[in-house]
Formats: sequence, C-alpha cells, structure tokens
Amino acid sequence: MIELRHVTKKFGSFTAVDDLSLTVPDGEFFGFLGPNGAGKTTTIKMMAGLFTPTTGEIILNGFNNATHPIEAKMTVAYVPDQPFLYDKLTGREFMYFVGGLYKMGKKEIKESVEELIEHFEIGDWVDKRTEDYSQGMRQRTTIAAALIHEPKVMIIDEPMVGLDPKSAKIVRETLKQKSRQGIAVFMSTHSLPVAEELCDRIGIINNGRLAFVGTRSDLSAYKEKFDGKFESVFLELTK
Amino acid sequence: MLLHILKYKFLSFVKTTFDPRMVTAIRGLGSLLVFGGFGLVAYVGSYEATRFIMEQTRIGLFLYHRFISMMLFVFFMAVNMGNIIVSYATLYKSAEVNFLFTKPVTFTQIFILKFLDNFLYSSSTLFLVAFMVLFGYGSYFGYPWYTFFGVLVGVLVPFMFLSACVAVLVLMSVMKVASRWGFRKVMLLIGTMYASFVLIFFRYTNPIKLVNRASMYYPNVDQYLVQFDPGFLKFLPNNWVADFLFFFAKGEPAMALPFAATLLLVTAGMFGLCLYVAHRFYYRSWLVTFEVQALSNSVEAGRRIKLFDFRKASILPPQAEALLKKEYFIFFREPSQWIHLLLMVILVVIFVLSVRNLNLGLRVTNIQAMTYLVLYAFGVFLSCSLALRFVFPGLSLEGKAFWSQRSSPLNLHKVFFMKFLVALTLIMGLALLIAVASNMPFVQLTERRPLLMYFGLFSAFWVSLSLVALNLGFGGYFSNFQEKNPIRIASSQGATLTFLVSLVYLITLVVVISVPLMRYFESLFLFLPFDFKVIVVPGTIFGMISAAVTGISVFIGLRSLQRDF
Repeated sequence: MIELRHVTKKFGSFTAVDDLSLTVPDGEFFGFLGPNGAGKTTTIKMMAGLFTPTTGEIILNGFNNATHPIEAKMTVAYVPDQPFLYDKLTGREFMYFVGGLYKMGKKEIKESVEELIEHFEIGDWVDKRTEDYSQGMRQRTTIAAALIHEPKVMIIDEPMVGLDPKSAKIVRETLKQKSRQGIAVFMSTHSLPVAEELCDRIGIINNGRLAFVGTRSDLSAYKEKFDGKFESVFLELTK
Repeated sequence: MLLHILKYKFLSFVKTTFDPRMVTAIRGLGSLLVFGGFGLVAYVGSYEATRFIMEQTRIGLFLYHRFISMMLFVFFMAVNMGNIIVSYATLYKSAEVNFLFTKPVTFTQIFILKFLDNFLYSSSTLFLVAFMVLFGYGSYFGYPWYTFFGVLVGVLVPFMFLSACVAVLVLMSVMKVASRWGFRKVMLLIGTMYASFVLIFFRYTNPIKLVNRASMYYPNVDQYLVQFDPGFLKFLPNNWVADFLFFFAKGEPAMALPFAATLLLVTAGMFGLCLYVAHRFYYRSWLVTFEVQALSNSVEAGRRIKLFDFRKASILPPQAEALLKKEYFIFFREPSQWIHLLLMVILVVIFVLSVRNLNLGLRVTNIQAMTYLVLYAFGVFLSCSLALRFVFPGLSLEGKAFWSQRSSPLNLHKVFFMKFLVALTLIMGLALLIAVASNMPFVQLTERRPLLMYFGLFSAFWVSLSLVALNLGFGGYFSNFQEKNPIRIASSQGATLTFLVSLVYLITLVVVISVPLMRYFESLFLFLPFDFKVIVVPGTIFGMISAAVTGISVFIGLRSLQRDF
C-alpha cells in the first residue's frame, strides 16, 4: 500500500508539489496524470527516495520512507522516466547487480533473471553492454530489473516511452498482471488511452495539486459533463 | 558556420559563468580567491626557486635552462597525454558531436570546434600554472611587463597548442588502425612508444651527467653549451622554448627570436596537418569507434564467464559483492580509466626504481633533511595526483544510473565506504611502495636505523587515508552526474579546489616533520643523543591533522549523498 500524507516539495520559492494526500491500496492500479511540469515526476521521485519531501510523509507498505528507508524500499520496484543504466554493464549484469542490492541469493537471482529475460523477450541482446541499447531496450531492461525481487509496490514513471507496440503490450500486460496479483501499482503517464485502459483509479495533478481523483466510473460520469472524451476532461482540469 | 556555433558556445559559457544568482557569485568569488592564491604560490615559488638557483647554487644560466628544458619536456608530455585521453571523449564520444554530424556542418569544422573545446578544457589549469611560473621566472630576470604577454602568446600558447596537435594526430592514427588491430593492442603499442621516448630522452639528457660535464667548464659553462646537447635535442620544442628563454634572460632577444619563430611555424604547420588529417579521416575514424565498440561488445563476449563475473558465487554479502563487482567492471571496461591508471603506475614505478638506489653521499644535516623533504613531498604529491584523478570522480561517475542505488534498500553509507575501501587499497598500496622505496636510501645512510622507514609507513597510512577521504568526500560535494568523462571531472573547478586543499595538507605535513627530521639527522651526523620525545609531539600533530581531514571529508561526503538526486 502507498500512502502520501500532506506531502509538499519546494525548490527554493517554487512549490512543485503542494500538500498532496493520496492512498493506493494493495491490488490497485493507480494512474497519475498531469501536464508537463505539474509535479508527477517530483512526486514519484519522493516516493522512490530520490527526493526528500519538504513536509509530509510517505508510507510504503507501512514503513515511512524517511525514517525507515531500507524497509520501505525493500518491497518497492521503481522505474524512472529515463531508463539510465550503467553503460559498461550488460543487461544481465545490471539485473544481477540490482538483485544483489535487494540482498537476494545467487540462485534466487538466477531463476528470477532467466524468467524475466524470457518474459520480456530480451535474450537476444541481454548479454551486450547497455551502451549499445536503444531506448526501448533500456526501458525493457529497467522494468525487468525492477521486478527481480518480487515487489509489493510498483512506482513507474512513463513506462511506455520509447517502446515498440509489441514491447508496450508486454509491459501493459505485465503491469496489469502484477496489479491482479495484489501489488499496488502507481504509474505516471501522458497517455490518456493507456490510463483509461489500465487504471482502476486515476489522479490528475496540476501545478502541484490534485485536480481530480476518482475511479474509472467516476471518470465516466465526469466525462459526460463534457463531450464524453477523457481528453476534454483532462484539458479542462489542467487549464 | 563555425563562428555561429562558437558564438552560441561562448554565450552559453558566459551565462553559466556569470550567473547573477548569489550562490554562483559566492562560488565564483571563492574560486577566484583559491585560483588567485594558487597563482600567487606558483609565482612566488618560481621567483624564489630561480633566485636560489642563480644566487645560491650558481649553476649558471645555461645549466638552469637545460633543467627548464627537461621540465618543459615533462610539461609537454603531460599536456600531450592529457589531450589524448580527453580528446578521445570530446572528439569521439560526445553527444554534441553526434548532434553536429546531423547538421550541415563540415567534418573539419566539427573537428576544430571540439579540438578547441578539448584544448581549452584540458589545459586551462596547466595554463594558469605555466603563466604564473613564467611570471615569477621573468620577474627575477627583470622582463618588462609587456614581454610576459608576448612570451605567453608567442611561445607558451603555441608550445601547449603544438602538444595538443600532436596528441590529436596520435589519437586519429590510433582510431584509424584500432579497427584492424584492436584498441587495446594499439594503445599498448602507443604506450610502449611513449615510455621508450621518455626513457631515451632522459637517458641522453641525464641531469647528473649534464652537471658533471658542465662542471668541467666551470665557470664558463654558458660558452660551451652547444657541445653538451645531443643532436636530436635541437628538434624538440621544449628545447626551442628553453633556448628562447635562455637568450632572452641573457639579454640577447635577437638570438631568442628564431626559436620562437621556429616554434610558431612548426605549430602552425602541425595544426594545418591536423586539419588535413581531420578533413580526410576524422569522420571515418569516428565511424571506427562504433566498430571498435562492437568488437568489444558482442553477445558472445558478454556470455562468457569472466573474472569476478556477477554469476559467480561469492563469500561477500550480496550488496557488498554487487557494489564491488560493479566498480570493477565499470573501471576496467573504460579505456580512459585503465590506460591512465597504467600510465600513473608506470610513473610510480619509474620513481620507485630511481630513488631506491639513490646514493645520498654527504653526511650534512641540512642537505639530507632537504633531500628527504623533497622526496617525501614528491611522494605525497604523487599520491595527491593519483587520488585526484581516480578517487575524486568516483561518485560523479555513478552518473544518472545512480538512481538504481538511491532507490534501492541500500544504506548510502555503504556505497561511500565501499568506494572508500577500493580507493584506499589502490592509493595506500602505491603510497606504501613509494614510502618504502624513498626511505631505503636513508636507511642505508643512517646505518640501517629503521626510524625513518617506520615514519614513512606511518605517514603512508595517514596520508592515503586522508587523501582518499578528501577526494571522495569533496568529489561527492562537487558531484556532477551529467559528466561521463573522468578526466573532465578531475579537472573541474571543484577538483582543482580539492587538489589545492590537498597541497595545503601536504605543505602542513612537510612543515610539521621538518624540525624533528633536522634534529634526527643532526643527532646522527654530530653523534649527539636523540631524544625520542622530539618526534612524539609532531607525530601526534601529524596524526591529528590527518584524522581531522579524514573525519571532515567523510562527513562532507556522507552529507552529499543525502541530497536530492
């Protein structure tokens, strides 16, 4: 479960995220939308432990990620918006590296890596150094590495960027499957159709504040007030 | 087109440098003070060294300029090797080059842009030092103020530019043949050629032989200068600069000018050759980098089980194992890292071989204490350089992939201390080697008394600990996760500041040990009893200063890891 309690992040005098409170229970697929610069990536980076909130608390699976960061991160899978990898490591080495960081044993890592390589269909190039990877290859390797330790929470920033249709399908199905298995999935995206297709609940952030939170049926009801299109709702809420 | 791009590069530089924010202004002022101080030290050092050599040792103008020639040779090689390694990144690995190749800009124009970028970036600190040294030297000989700028523009800049041109020509040749022979083989061949060239130079310009031969003609040394020079020396640019300075200092500018003219002509010719070669081969050699990369990055190669392979079992805990193996692969798969380390280790080995059998001769307190301090300072200076080059960039080189560690259940102190441990093993190993070798002649001199050797080992321990902490800690504070080139990180403003702090630490240590050292040699040579209490207080101060440097630096480094990423 993910809980954000009155989370604010300021950079100097600029408030990127303003008093954000939100709960994503286990098994829910939450879509986080907003225009560029609305505060999506800042929120996600705070959840992943890359930024410290100025005020407020983030609780991941019952652990405050400021006071108990190790316990909180142990059950989290994070996929950043830009899949930066160590150029000089191969994809497989990167996955073993991440497995080690999650204190997994060699046998456990090996089984998980083989399974993920097959699942994400990356076997043809996983043994090449990542410096030669395309954006899509990097993205698939990053997502595969994030799942190596059987997480209970997934925090994903723009997972579909740079993926070809086949890879996008694999990722969509994987995320949906993880959500069905009881994992809380928090995904930011710019793609309104993807959000509508995958998410149980959607939040729209604008200027650091939540402008809308609701289930798909809430969204459908809201859409009726406009022309029935999600795009119109989104543009109205983020004006 | 070239001017158009240069204009925007210049604007970008001005906007970054003269950012009106208070933080940038304070940082700029701090840097100005530090660089100003550094320049002042270089000026005073050069002036006093020239005064001492000319007035105290009286070795004569000719011999002094032959030593200057040797130093210029080392300087030329330093600029040259620095440029080879940096230009590999700027000419072949830069994202800007990829961008420019997609625009209607000629290959030669791209080459000129990146060559200048490379030259200015990798040589700017050396340039400041060289100018201030020239300023100190020229002030002693009473150069008029305007001549400094003349010598700077007409001699010093062309000299460094020539070195950079040679570097880029060597690099383009390497890239040309690397696809056929393999990058490692070609680099090893080039390394061997460079090492042989350095050895041949010093074999034929041996300073001890030179002093002996020059002293045969004392005090008319200057009149016999031509016959001392080996023939090939006439063709080396360091000799042209040294001869230019020699005649200028002698008050014979007409004799000096031909050397400057030769230097300028050769530099212009070499730059012309660079442009021609770049016009013919730059783009093709740029394409070769992909071939070279493909050769070393095949799926088959990746599947082979290697030394320290991630798939192999380990006795270490998983996090420590993952961090250590990652460090190993990232270092040894980056040519600019292992090649530079190899060069530095060769330098240390040359130093160790040179000093271990040094015949110290005279049993005179001042001379032996001074010799000890010079050797000691040089040894610590080597450690400072090694730490700056290989430890300072450690955290920055995590790059943007650092998110994988920052977001994982890993105590960030572990990341810091793992890097600390790896760096300490390297720096301490080399520092102990230097300490043992440089203390051996003194153990012989003191009839096998081990005190100086013990001190050497004690010092190597504390100095390596402090330098690793200082460079890793400050490297974290000044971390730049955008920059992938370790040499650019190690020559950034933050790195220069760290190096200056290291030098202040070095000078403090030399001051602390100088008095007990004098007392020790005095007691030996004058057969006086030596009170061991004399070393207790300085030894404690030494340890306390080093512990303080270590503690503060570790604190700074650990704090830096808490920052937003």
